[in-house]
Amino acid sequence: MTANSLSRTLERPGVFKYLLIAPAVFVILLIGLYPLIKLAVTSFQDISMFGADYSFNGAKHYVRLFGDSRLWESLLHTVLFTAVALPIELVLGYLLALLFLERLPGKSFFVAIILLPTIISPIVAGSTWRLMIDQRFGPVNQILSWIAGREVELLWNIQTYLVWPAIMIAEVWQWTPFMFLMLYAALSNVDKEQLEAAQIDGASWWMTFRRIVLPAIMPVMVIAMLIRALDLFRIFDIIWTMTQGGPGTMTETISIYAYNIAFREFETSYSAAIAFLVIFILTLVVVWLLRRVEVER
Amino acid sequence: MANLKLHNINKYYGAYHAVRDVSFDIPAGEFVVLVGASGCGKSTLLRAIAGLEEISGGDMTLRGTSITRLAPRDRNVAMVFQSYALYPYLSVRENIAFGLRARKTPDAEINTQVAWAAEVLDISDYLDRYPRELSGGQRQRVAIGRAIVRDADLYLFDEPLSNLDAKLRDGMREEIKKLHEKLGKTFIYVTHDQIEAMTLAQRIILLKDGQIEQVGPPLDLFERPRNAYVAAFLGSPPMNFIEVNVSAGSVILPDGQALPGCAMPDGIYTWGIRPEHFTADEQGPLLAKLDVIQPTGARSYGTFYIAGNHMMAELDAHAANHGQTHLSVAMDRTLFFDPATGEAIP
Repeated sequence: MTANSLSRTLERPGVFKYLLIAPAVFVILLIGLYPLIKLAVTSFQDISMFGADYSFNGAKHYVRLFGDSRLWESLLHTVLFTAVALPIELVLGYLLALLFLERLPGKSFFVAIILLPTIISPIVAGSTWRLMIDQRFGPVNQILSWIAGREVELLWNIQTYLVWPAIMIAEVWQWTPFMFLMLYAALSNVDKEQLEAAQIDGASWWMTFRRIVLPAIMPVMVIAMLIRALDLFRIFDIIWTMTQGGPGTMTETISIYAYNIAFREFETSYSAAIAFLVIFILTLVVVWLLRRVEVER
Repeated sequence: MANLKLHNINKYYGAYHAVRDVSFDIPAGEFVVLVGASGCGKSTLLRAIAGLEEISGGDMTLRGTSITRLAPRDRNVAMVFQSYALYPYLSVRENIAFGLRARKTPDAEINTQVAWAAEVLDISDYLDRYPRELSGGQRQRVAIGRAIVRDADLYLFDEPLSNLDAKLRDGMREEIKKLHEKLGKTFIYVTHDQIEAMTLAQRIILLKDGQIEQVGPPLDLFERPRNAYVAAFLGSPPMNFIEVNVSAGSVILPDGQALPGCAMPDGIYTWGIRPEHFTADEQGPLLAKLDVIQPTGARSYGTFYIAGNHMMAELDAHAANHGQTHLSVAMDRTLFFDPATGEAIP
């Protein structure tokens, strides 16, 4: 190929646009697709602490998934935690956003303060909350003692009825601000005159919310919920630093379980199968949700 | 009995006094236009009547009961907004039905009412569309439909035509006037456009800097303005003003020309002459040099200067020509104002 014909090939619009996106596609394939394929391959091999068998071993790890009660329990923990934390964050974030729509002195200062938890790394947040709820030295018990007027010694990360609430508090504390920010932005864009028109038309709070506010903030709200749901589904750091999944396996989520299988018990191939299960579930949820959003449009 | 009574309404935004001691009565069924330059407080006043704006002082009564402290929904008023404020996620039908649904009207009645409003406003074909699929004029009709389906005590219009193009505006103006005649309800209409005010109002309330300048039927304000501000505000092109000396029954212009036939006592006045008070007339006492001629078809506007004062005369299309022209003035229709206060002198 002569230099002339090469440059002519490059100048053909059909070719040139692919050349332009080629580097990005290459990077995505390298860091996205390759691990996924490697993961799939691994899940059909038999690699563990006791040895590495790289030959095809059938779907035995996938069959094992079905009989693994600890796996399903951890999945149930994850789903339940998501199902409780997400609405709490949503409602609290919405209420905060409503509050900040009013004229407040020093508003931008308070917005910045409220956003602080979200900026902190979840590991740091989890570690800090672990110290906060420490039964001996933690300020939470201390403050509760002042309020109660007697010594309170709640074993936050040991008592079975306290451990989930403790994690929930830390999680909600850290991520409500995110919901607040998204909803605040969405609510600020709701047309004031439409709200005034609804007032004059005599609409109740609920009717105004349902017919005017909710449809207006829906696209942003769905995206915010999707982001948070995915984050919650693969929650790891906060729980790991607070309880390491304990007591026992009580606060073990799917990510913590996968981590334990992969890096404590070194069942590499089985953990690959678990990872694939998670990817499968998340893909279903995302596709379903995005399709719903498309329909709403 | 007055339907709506405003008593000493005041509104401050911080230190800014937006509405100052405004009082007026509006009898049931009247079409009142609040008019004034932008920033005169007319929209604030309308929003205060709707309950969207809290007032700083004063009292409002509607059909004999005070509404000053009532929430908008409890005042039984309907309003058409400048931006239309249609609900974007509801169909035209549901937009119009919104206020009725909010008040728990039975479905059958809602259907009848919506069908009636759509018929009146000629939007029956669009009922199942969404606001974004409509043109500006159609949106305007939906906004009006949303107001008129409700059996309100007051119908408020906040510059409803200002977002329409000129042709559409003329058409809608006529329709709003017809609508008022058909419904027989009380309309309060805010505009900065003096043509809208003149054409629509049974009574004009002219505001300036948050205060009422003059209240009355359009022609009263036009022919007997209380002061130079009102005289200048109404009429297009606006009234000409020039400082003159009246001496022995003649108006002496600053350039020395004397126009006889003035009944005012001797003295210095601001003289107000509307452009249509000039006539091209070979025998006319005023000699003017027409600089610019703006034909509009039937009539033409001719510009001239008297000792540096810009004047405009509305003349017969063919009588308006460049250069020296003799004009006569309808002396008995011109107005005289106190040059210091601007008050009209009868």
